Amino acid sequence: MKKDFYEMTYILNPVLDEEKFSEMVNYVNKLIEDNGGELVEVDEWGVKKLAYDIDKKSTGYYVNLYFNAPAETIAPVERNMRIHDDIMRYLTLKYDAKMKRHYDLRKKGELPALFEDPEGEQESDDDK
Amino acid sequence: MINNPSHPKKGHLKSRDCKFTKAGIEYIDYKQTEILERFVNDQGKILPRRVTGNSARHQRQLSTAVKRARFMALIPYVTENLR
Repeated sequence: MKKDFYEMTYILNPVLDEEKFSEMVNYVNKLIEDNGGELVEVDEWGVKKLAYDIDKKSTGYYVNLYFNAPAETIAPVERNMRIHDDIMRYLTLKYDAKMKRHYDLRKKGELPALFEDPEGEQESDDDK
Repeated sequence: MINNPSHPKKGHLKSRDCKFTKAGIEYIDYKQTEILERFVNDQGKILPRRVTGNSARHQRQLSTAVKRARFMALIPYVTENLR
């Protein structure tokens, strides 16, 4: 079966404790694996401040993960995540060739820098 | 003169080259919020191409990335003092 590369980011309820966080991360990982996906990378960003309140909460526990999976995996995984009260938000992206190249470059740390020289920085500040 | 491309009022619009094209960036990631924040104004609105000088392709990618970042609460829809 053809497998595509996906990225998923989700925000967990910050009220939970450390133990419950890892339990939830394992729950989502297992959900993906049980539906025919293979995890590539799981990156936990930890508790971060949200740009605006969601469900009257100003922080959230961010988890960013990458996996290979057939298209049929996504619907049941998202359905389960939607039902779960502790998952405040999720976003799944299917990677195309360009996005995959970008991901590989980022992994290698060879991503072209956009605003590194101070001159360029000055210029873009003026734009605002 | 009608349709004069060298209209003096356009002088304040500085940057006319696409920074993403110049840097050779293929895809704009919604997680790179420090980049996205440079292309929104103080209120959190996406700046137009007329101001940023982005190519059409990159401006489309940028607006998608900003909208994704907003949804994931990485950048605000509207800044605090305006809400």
